[in-house]
Amino acid sequence: MNVKRWGIMGLLLAIVAILVVGKPGEPVQAAEKTYTVGTDVTFAPFEFTDKNNRQVGIDIDILKAIAKVEGFKLNIKATSFNGAVQELQAGQIDGVMAGMSITKERKEMFNFSDPYFKSGVVMAVAKNSKIKGFADLRGKRVAIKTGTAAGAYANSIKKKYGFTTVTFDDSNNVYQDVIAGNSAACFEDKPVIQYAIATGLDLRITKMKLADPNNYGIAVQKSDPEFLATLNRGLKKLRQTGEYDRIITRYLGNGSQKEQTEKAKAAGSTDHSFGTLLKQNWGTLMSGLQETLALTLVGIICATIVGVLMGLLGVVPSRWAQGTATTFIYLFRGLPLMVLALFIYTGVPMVIGTKIPAFVAGIITLTLNEGAYTAAFVKGGIGAVDKGQMEAARSLGLPWGRAMRRVILPQGIKIMIPSFINQFIITLKDTSILSILGLLELTQTGKIIIARNMQGFKIWAMVALIYLIIITLLTWLSNWVQRKVQA
Amino acid sequence: MTTRIEMKDVHKRYGANEVIRGVNLKVEDNEVVVLIGPSGAGKSTVLRMMNGLETTTAGEILIDGVDIARPHVDIDKVRENIGMVFQHFNLFPNMSVQKNVTLAPVELGLMSQADADAAALRMLDTVGLADKAEAMPKTLSGGQKQRVAIARALAMQPDIMLFDEPTSALDPEMVGDVLEVMRKLAAQGMTMVIVTHEMGFAKEVADRVVFFEGGEINETGTPEQVFDHPQSPRLQSFLQKVLQA
Ligand SMILES: Nc1ncnc2c1ncn2[C@@H]1O[C@H](COP(=O)(O)OP(=O)(O)O)[C@@H](O)[C@H]1O
Ligand SMILES: [Mg+2]
Repeated sequence: MNVKRWGIMGLLLAIVAILVVGKPGEPVQAAEKTYTVGTDVTFAPFEFTDKNNRQVGIDIDILKAIAKVEGFKLNIKATSFNGAVQELQAGQIDGVMAGMSITKERKEMFNFSDPYFKSGVVMAVAKNSKIKGFADLRGKRVAIKTGTAAGAYANSIKKKYGFTTVTFDDSNNVYQDVIAGNSAACFEDKPVIQYAIATGLDLRITKMKLADPNNYGIAVQKSDPEFLATLNRGLKKLRQTGEYDRIITRYLGNGSQKEQTEKAKAAGSTDHSFGTLLKQNWGTLMSGLQETLALTLVGIICATIVGVLMGLLGVVPSRWAQGTATTFIYLFRGLPLMVLALFIYTGVPMVIGTKIPAFVAGIITLTLNEGAYTAAFVKGGIGAVDKGQMEAARSLGLPWGRAMRRVILPQGIKIMIPSFINQFIITLKDTSILSILGLLELTQTGKIIIARNMQGFKIWAMVALIYLIIITLLTWLSNWVQRKVQA
Repeated sequence: MTTRIEMKDVHKRYGANEVIRGVNLKVEDNEVVVLIGPSGAGKSTVLRMMNGLETTTAGEILIDGVDIARPHVDIDKVRENIGMVFQHFNLFPNMSVQKNVTLAPVELGLMSQADADAAALRMLDTVGLADKAEAMPKTLSGGQKQRVAIARALAMQPDIMLFDEPTSALDPEMVGDVLEVMRKLAAQGMTMVIVTHEMGFAKEVADRVVFFEGGEINETGTPEQVFDHPQSPRLQSFLQKVLQA
């Protein structure tokens, strides 16, 4: 290998090091403790993003206020309700505040702060629906959100009233399913749906009294009484100073008809043309794209290094080496990417007892999965070189390693180039699956924007277009490299 | 006379199929030994055992007294001294003719690139291809490719050369040039083991002819003995078939 090649290798490794190490590294402050609290992407009015893509909501504001009065550094991480709960279980985060009802089952798993909000389940239906009560649901379908108390309540009575349920990960999808007529109704926490309707959602709450009344609390790990105490102290202070009431009124108003109409008008009058949407969300989309590209680049580099090494191991004439390579390929090519990502991010930390930053977990996932595919075609590419080449090189007295490096690999790489290009493109696309880890890459960004403005068609079209443009550029670049190498 | 290659009761099996069944064979210094026999008789296998390209199930293969059939032999060192030419040339397609020839001596630190380049040109000259040094293998005819392959093997300055049907893949008009090069090598005293179906050539250059049949040596002798006075009925019918064609 010549100096130039080593130089490029060194540079790439440096980039990897900076991206991997530099990414989660926030300036360490000795005095202030940092707590990471997980929440949902959209569960208005408790958490959602406003027009300027800022995270707001009752939960967010209360958390920030507690952090201020209690003097700790707050890191809010919006994944999904389910994701946040799993991350808390795995010890990846310190708490979950996501309009979370305090239930018996959850109390077995976590400690809860003092209740900060009284809620209950209501049923919402399409505007023109004839459904009045649970009895009208027989034979129909009800939309619920994964892991919510409202969902659990729906499931507990569905046998009695003879309806089925369908679950979604996101409130938005729950509502759209009812509007689209796929489901006859949805069960939701009262403040949530109240707020959504107030700001323009085309559903109606049935005139039934609150079912399954419950309290919201902040969940923390059982092993963390210190944080629990901090939260309770903070909540108490907020109630005493009146800050708590100000926050609630800010989002739920005084409940007057006039105010609700105004809110609806404000929501309805928003300009949703393609151009305006693009302009409004350009910054957010671009930061998502940046994260996607960072994941892709680091992922490709790591996966290529690991894949090539494993592929080479797979052709070394040693049973141990080949067994290792075969097992690696079998294991990580066989696992779905999403399962692997969740396993590494929320599964492994439970066993090793250390947090793994989402970005690092994402890179490890890509490295293992894409690396397995790379190893397979590297192994295959080398195998595709005529056997006579190795024999001729060996008959001249070249040791196996040199024959491999000087004679077989240069020919094998030519065979592999189209596979490499293909794998790079697949890696770029696969980063979208990592949105499950709450990484703010392009797909997750799209989800968040849509959760706010409900413009699914246009926003997904933009996201799709951005992916296509990047993939086209990547293809051009690859073809250019291919021409250079094969000339 | 010194013995260069000696096979002692050599066996090889692929699973239950024993393809070499107790071969004893000696090759002396400067000797040219030609192996003949029907397809599948085990000629290539025996030849490839002589430089360790095939493993041995049982028996000894002594090269200058060293048993290469044993594990932990420095086979690369042994191979530096034994050149091999294949039926399908096996030139390295990603390198020029000259690079094909210089790769091994330079890579193994036996020569500087400059010395190797000069030697390669001399070597290519002896096989009549001095003008093709810069050419890529794919632009050459079969006969030219095989002569480059011989030059490549000679570049390691071996004193034993193994040939496995070096002309079988060539168009008839190309065969002569390759045989001519081999004839020259024999005249220079190179120790050679040649698997071939060119009976005229065998008769002319061989010191000894060995007839293989079913993984065993069926008959062996001088060219006159083997071609003009074959003893075994197998050899007689084999010669009848090939000489008719
Ligand atoms: N890799 C292999 N696996 C199984 N059988 C083989 C293999 N290589 C050669 N053989 C068998 O060994 C026997 C001898 O082959 P070979 O030495 O190539 O014969 P020849 O060169 O005389 O035509 C043949 O029957 C052939 O089918
Ligand atoms: Mg053969």
